[in-house]
Amino acid sequence: MNCLEFERVLPEFLEGGQTPEEHAHLASCPSCSNLLADLNSISSQAKLLIASEEPRPAVWDVLESRLREEGLIRSPEFIPAKTNNFWSRWRTAWLVPVAAALVMVAGLKLFHPFNAGDHEPIAKQAPAPAVVITPVSREDQVVLNSVATRIPAQRARYRADLEDANSFIRDAEQSIKDDPNDIYTQQMLINAYAQKQMLYDLAVDRSSGQ
Amino acid sequence: MRPLKGNLTGAKRLQGDKLTEAEAIEQAKLGNEAAFKALYDLHKRRVYSLCLRMTGNTASAEDLTQEAFLQLFRKIGTFRGESAFSTWLHRMAVNVVLMQLRKKGLPVVPLDDATEGDEEGSIKKEPGAPDERLAGSIDRLRLQRAVDELPPGYRTIFVLHDVEGYEHNEIAELVGCSIGNSKSQLHKARIKLRELLRTGRAEKAGKR
Amino acid sequence: MSSRRSAAQFVMVLALAGVAYAAGDVRKDLHFKVGKHPMITIENPYGPVVVRAGAAHEVLVTAILHSDKVELEQSQSHNRIELVSHLLAGADQNSGVVEYEVQVPAEANLTLHSDNGRIHAEKLRGDLAMEGSNATMEVVDCAGGHVHVKTLNGPVNLTNVRGGHVEVMSMGGDVVLIGVSGPLVNVNSNSGKIQYSGDFGGEGEYDFTSHTGDIEAIAPAYASIDVFARSNQGRVESDFSLEPKHSSIYSKGGSALIGTMGKAASAVKLVSFSGKIHLKKRQN
Repeated sequence: MNCLEFERVLPEFLEGGQTPEEHAHLASCPSCSNLLADLNSISSQAKLLIASEEPRPAVWDVLESRLREEGLIRSPEFIPAKTNNFWSRWRTAWLVPVAAALVMVAGLKLFHPFNAGDHEPIAKQAPAPAVVITPVSREDQVVLNSVATRIPAQRARYRADLEDANSFIRDAEQSIKDDPNDIYTQQMLINAYAQKQMLYDLAVDRSSGQ
Repeated sequence: MRPLKGNLTGAKRLQGDKLTEAEAIEQAKLGNEAAFKALYDLHKRRVYSLCLRMTGNTASAEDLTQEAFLQLFRKIGTFRGESAFSTWLHRMAVNVVLMQLRKKGLPVVPLDDATEGDEEGSIKKEPGAPDERLAGSIDRLRLQRAVDELPPGYRTIFVLHDVEGYEHNEIAELVGCSIGNSKSQLHKARIKLRELLRTGRAEKAGKR
Repeated sequence: MSSRRSAAQFVMVLALAGVAYAAGDVRKDLHFKVGKHPMITIENPYGPVVVRAGAAHEVLVTAILHSDKVELEQSQSHNRIELVSHLLAGADQNSGVVEYEVQVPAEANLTLHSDNGRIHAEKLRGDLAMEGSNATMEVVDCAGGHVHVKTLNGPVNLTNVRGGHVEVMSMGGDVVLIGVSGPLVNVNSNSGKIQYSGDFGGEGEYDFTSHTGDIEAIAPAYASIDVFARSNQGRVESDFSLEPKHSSIYSKGGSALIGTMGKAASAVKLVSFSGKIHLKKRQN
């Protein structure tokens, strides 16, 4: 076997297919054995390059703003996810107490503080279900009034929708009382609040948008 | 694929809130910013290094890193923990880079009969000089520079196999070539690297 | 209205002008030059808004105003365009109508509002946010972008929408999804019906929730899904025989169905309080 032949079989050799003939050539050929040693060095030292570079902090900044733009980052105070720029219309401060109420109930799933080493499944993290936040009807009334003033034709419709939303919330809350650990019911309650939130948003938006 | 090394193994505890990676993933699904940041911090070096090695320049590497994480975070809702999160993320990053290379019309992996650069045989023998071993140990910086000098097609294969630890069958699937092709290109890449390291052409500065 | 503009924006209020289109109608043609990924907002309380993909770098608008009781306000700030139908005193749902036909670059991001018109978006790839109380919402042949729809009682129809996050919220409006798939498809309804016809593809997460509205999902025999279907007080039916899955979900009363089909690539959750849930097999 000469060097040219050895070169040709070198890839196979490196993969593990090694014949006595090839070993014999290596033993007698410093060129080829140097080559082999170098190639092995190169491939093993390549591991040095893994995770060897650190990106600038600015890379995160840009990523973060794109995450916000796409609505992937959500503020925990507002459940449901009224997320991205498309929806940002928080003009009325009195909606915040409602949001706080949402947080307290939604806290069943979302805001249980993490304890290091605590790996219980989410369902078990629910606190005592005795807390039942009834939607504050005073806020409902304020919304209805503002709709009535501006778009009287829609008032009856809004009132019906508000009742449907409240009814969903009540049903979901009752289900949670029956089974506090059920994560699907918890999610249903969050969805119910999301619908109510949407009603508020659309009412406020249309009322003041003219 | 080989697992992450160093301080990233084990329970993958993160700084600050003592979130585990699993917890961060769950929180990220809900849109928690700190969770996104934690996952980013945990994996940014791996992803960025991959992008940098495969493109050879910082600006591209930064864009691709952002793109890979963005795609990851968009889809994080679908991650159900059947495979390692890092594997999933890494695959995504590789695909993002390969797509970019394709878009630019760069050969992702050249076919076997194409030769890159002025390669004629696998070993260039200088007249009269025996093939000596590479002088000195191969340190990270020298190797880095040499990899940056590799023609793009060789670079892709070398980075995916020797640096990142993908197997040939995985590379073949990712890149769209045959396993044989992947193996022979890898060999050529290593030969070329040896040459670059030996002749000191890797000393060229200011490439990035 | 001007209180809503930021100081950086340049506001132009167009007075009614131009040739009369029909009795009382006034037509306005607008043309904007934009860069990549423009953001376009259209607020139109009364009347249809139809948006289709057009040439790159330009936005073409044809607006037909039905009376002099409505004004078209337009503003452009770099890559952001805002079109608002401003109702004047005495405007109602007839005299206040403006009909919009718009062409935008395919990758444009859109925010569209209408209360009683029809919002139609077609062949777009950017993000879409549609909102209205009774408007009919239609999204057709859109791919890649996020689609967010909010309605109170208007029907929602999504056809061939793929590859992005789809989120629909409705009170009483029925929601129909045909050929909709992606990493996340989420429908939250109160009394509106939810109808899905498609393959639950894309290894996505499909979450349909309702209060009292029925949920009907029609999928092919080859669908690859991990199903959780439950109604607290309503019936749950399935044409498919699901592989039972070991599950510790506690289900008290009501009716539930849990299992997998095929490789269980997508997660499908059909949850209702009292609506009927039916997972149907597509006939063909």
